[in-house]
Amino acid sequence: MATAHHDAHDDHDDHHGIAHTASVKVLLGTGGALMMLTLVTVLATRVDFGTNINLAVAMLIAVIKATLVVLFFMHLKYDKVFHSVIFLSAILAAALFVGFTLMDSGQYQETNIWDTDNPPIAPVGPRPTSG
Amino acid sequence: MSEQAHAAHGDDHGGHHGSVFIQHHYDDAQHQFDSGKLGIWLFLAQEVLFFSALFVAYILYRHHHPEIYAYAHKYLDVKMGAINTAVLIFSSLTAAWAVRAAQLRQKKLLVACLAATIACACGFLVVKYFEYTHKVHEKILFGRYFDPCVSSGGTPLLTRSNECPGSKSSVIWDKTTGGASSGCFGDVALDVDAGAPHVQADCKVYEVQGTETTKDGKVEFTEKGRKEITARCFDPVFGPAGGVGGSSSNAQAYPCWKTNANPHVCKGGWFFTWHCSGPLCAKPFAGEGPYPTQAACKEQHAAKKGALGSQGDAVLTECATSGASGFLVEYGDHTVRKGDVRIASECKTPAPPVASTDPFADRVKPLALGQTTTTTAPPLTHADQKAAMYAGPPPEHTNMFFTIYFAMTGLHGVHVLVGVFVFIWLLIRATKGHFTPDYFGPVDFAALYWHIVDLIWIFLFPLLYLIH
Repeated sequence: MATAHHDAHDDHDDHHGIAHTASVKVLLGTGGALMMLTLVTVLATRVDFGTNINLAVAMLIAVIKATLVVLFFMHLKYDKVFHSVIFLSAILAAALFVGFTLMDSGQYQETNIWDTDNPPIAPVGPRPTSG
Repeated sequence: MSEQAHAAHGDDHGGHHGSVFIQHHYDDAQHQFDSGKLGIWLFLAQEVLFFSALFVAYILYRHHHPEIYAYAHKYLDVKMGAINTAVLIFSSLTAAWAVRAAQLRQKKLLVACLAATIACACGFLVVKYFEYTHKVHEKILFGRYFDPCVSSGGTPLLTRSNECPGSKSSVIWDKTTGGASSGCFGDVALDVDAGAPHVQADCKVYEVQGTETTKDGKVEFTEKGRKEITARCFDPVFGPAGGVGGSSSNAQAYPCWKTNANPHVCKGGWFFTWHCSGPLCAKPFAGEGPYPTQAACKEQHAAKKGALGSQGDAVLTECATSGASGFLVEYGDHTVRKGDVRIASECKTPAPPVASTDPFADRVKPLALGQTTTTTAPPLTHADQKAAMYAGPPPEHTNMFFTIYFAMTGLHGVHVLVGVFVFIWLLIRATKGHFTPDYFGPVDFAALYWHIVDLIWIFLFPLLYLIH
C-alpha cells in the first residue's frame, strides 16, 4: 500500500491507498458552512415571509446542509457511484412514501371533520359513488 | 489477541494484507473495505426509510393541523435545539476528521477526534435530558399525558390532573345556601343578550378546579385554576330529543360544556353544565332545543340524580336564581377528577363583537370573487394575534404534536446513544493502535452512521423547533 508519500500530500484530496482522504480545508470548510447555515436558518424564522415561504426557506437550507454533509463528510462526491445510487434510491423511496400518502390524504379531507363545531361546507355536485 | 498485539506495532507480516484485521476470506484490504462500505451504505439507506415513516406522520399531521404546529412549537426551546444542532455538526466534523486521521496514521489526532465526538454526543444527550425532564415536569407530553400547566405562551392553564403548583383564590362555599359565603367565587351571571341567542353576551364561562375542605358545616373551596369553556357539547337531555334517560351512558346522558384545551370533557365520565332560562335567554341554542325553566331545571336534576343511582353522589347541583332566569350548575364526577370542579362565569355588559384572534381565520373565509379587501379586518397586528394565540389554551389534538415530537426525537436520541457506544469501542481500539491506512473501515463506517444521525437532526431541528 502507498504509505510512503502520505505526509507529502496531507492537504490534497487524494486517494490514499484504499479510499479517498478528505483534506483539512474541505473538512473545515464544510463544518464552517454548516454552522453558518444553522445560524441563517435560526435567523430566517425571525423574519416573516409568510408561513409557507418560511417553511420553504427552512427546508431549502436543511437540504443544502444535508447535501454538504453527504458530499463531503460522507465522501459521496469521491465515492463509488453505486453508493450514491443506493442512497438516492432510499431518498426516492421516502419521497414516494410521502407523496403518495399526501395525495391520498387529500381524498379524505372532506369526510374527516376535524373541527366538529365548524364542519366543512358540503361540496356542490353529485355525491361520490364509492371510496 | 496476539494478532492484535502485532497490529499495535504496525507489523506488516501478511504480505499485501498490511493489517492483521484483514480477514482471510477477502482478497486484500481494498476488498474488505469495499465490502464493508457497501454494507454500511445499505444500512444507511434502510435508516432513511426507517425515519421516513415518522416524517410521513409529521407531514400528514401538519398538513391537516397547521394550527397545532403553529401553537405547540412555542413549547420548545429554540436555544436548546440550536445548541444541539451546533454540537452535532461539530461532532460530525470531528468524526470526519477521525477518518482522515486514521487514514494518515495520525494516532493521537484519531484518539482526540474520537474522544471529541463522544463528548459532543454526550453533550447532546445532556441537553436532551434537560429538555425532556422539563416537559415531563410541565406535562407537555404525548397522547393522553398531555396536560400542560401553562399555555405555550406561558399563561397558567387548568389541568385535568390538577397537580400544577399555586392556587389562585380561596372561596368559602356554603352548601346550605348553595352560594359563596365569602370570596368572589360563584358570581354566576346571565346571558343578557336576548337578541343573540347563540352568544353568551360578554360572559366568560369557566371550569374552575380546586380542592374542597369542610369546616363547621361550611365548605371551603380553594381554587387552583380555571379554564375558559368555549364550546358546548351535544345535549341529548335538554336537546331536541328531550327528556331524561335517553341514554344509560353517563357521558351521553348529560349535557356539558367542553373546553378547547380539554376536548374529552364530554367523554371522560365527568360533566358539568350551565343552563339558564327565562325571558332573557329563552331562545334555543342552535339545533339544541329550548332551555328548561327554573322549575324544570330542578325537576330534571332530581330525575337525573335518581337515574344515576350509585353515581348520585358525584353530582352536586345548585339551581340558582337570578331574576327571571335559572341556572343549573353541575359539578364533576369526583371519582374521575381528583379535585372539585365548579363553574364560574364573569359577565360584563354586552360589548361590540371582538375581532377573532384566530390567526388562521382568513384561511377558512377566503375572499369572495371580486372582493378586494376584508371588511372585518382584525384591529390587532399579526404579532398581537400570535401572542393571543400563545396565551390561550392549546388547540384540540395538540397532544399529537408531542406524540410525534417524542417519537422523532426519541428515536433520534436512541441513535445518538448507540453512536456513543460505537465511538467508545472505536476509541479503545484506536488507543491500541488497531487502525492503519489499510484498515480504518470501522472508523469510516461509524462516521458514516454518525453523519446520518446528524443529517436527520438537520431536518428535525427546523421542522420541530423553527416553525414560524
